Amino acid sequence: MSTRDKIIYALALAAMVLLTRNIYLIARLPGELQQGAIFKIIFFHVPVAATAMFASVFSLAASVLFLITKNFKYDALAVASTEVGLAFLAANLVTGSIWARVIWGVWWAWDVRLTSALVCWLLYAGYLILRQAIEEPTQRATFAAIFSIFAFIDVPIVYLSIRLFRTQHPGPVFFTSQGSFPHDWSMILMWNMFAMMMLAAVLTLVRLREEDAQREIDSLRRMAHAF
Amino acid sequence: MHALSLPLLVAQVSPQDVEIEMARLQRNYEFLSWGLTAAWLILVVYVLMLVSRQRKLRREIASLRAMLEERQK
Repeated sequence: MSTRDKIIYALALAAMVLLTRNIYLIARLPGELQQGAIFKIIFFHVPVAATAMFASVFSLAASVLFLITKNFKYDALAVASTEVGLAFLAANLVTGSIWARVIWGVWWAWDVRLTSALVCWLLYAGYLILRQAIEEPTQRATFAAIFSIFAFIDVPIVYLSIRLFRTQHPGPVFFTSQGSFPHDWSMILMWNMFAMMMLAAVLTLVRLREEDAQREIDSLRRMAHAF
Repeated sequence: MHALSLPLLVAQVSPQDVEIEMARLQRNYEFLSWGLTAAWLILVVYVLMLVSRQRKLRREIASLRAMLEERQK
């Protein structure tokens, strides 16, 4: 077993233990006064959103580093973190939609936060489609890196939308004086955020292994063509 | 204060109100479970996709290696 495999298994185990602990604590919490039990969805909705946002920052950094160095390891990191971030963002959109159905009475509202998050998901999905469309590896990595930088423009818009605009989506309740989230609830949310990020790190490492395998296939094919 | 106001509050609540509140709570739990199931399902489906892709890549590497060894003979 390689060192990377050992790290993957150790991280996965730690994430599972932490998630089990968090789920147990969340299940024991009382319902919120106005919203009842559905409010507990915040303990997943916010952590998956934060994880997706971190993944997009990694993707941006890796894309910029690829354009500077032309090292394909950064391209692999960019695609791995984008794909994992896309899965987490999908979970965020779905949990948000179900929460909205109970509280707002509608599955979806075209307000700035929801729309910019959907646009973000579509942009990163477009990034993955773009990669499928280009055969030549250097051209694929370069175009994808440029597209990833372009797609990241939407991320600060998603983050700031509830601060800058009046939206159907509630305003920020964390890291702000306006929020009234109890301290012990905030701690559970933070731990769940940490667990989700560990899970995302595991998935990114697994996805990176796929990219290594793909590079090996590319070199084997070149050798096969040379014969 | 709570001990005094609670019986007064209970006296004002009709059985219909209780039923409505219970239905709201039940609906809340249902939606919460749907939301959590959907979120985990997305992540599980993604993990399954990763596993199946990895298997496919391993098979492809093995077949390419076998082909190259065959050509070298």
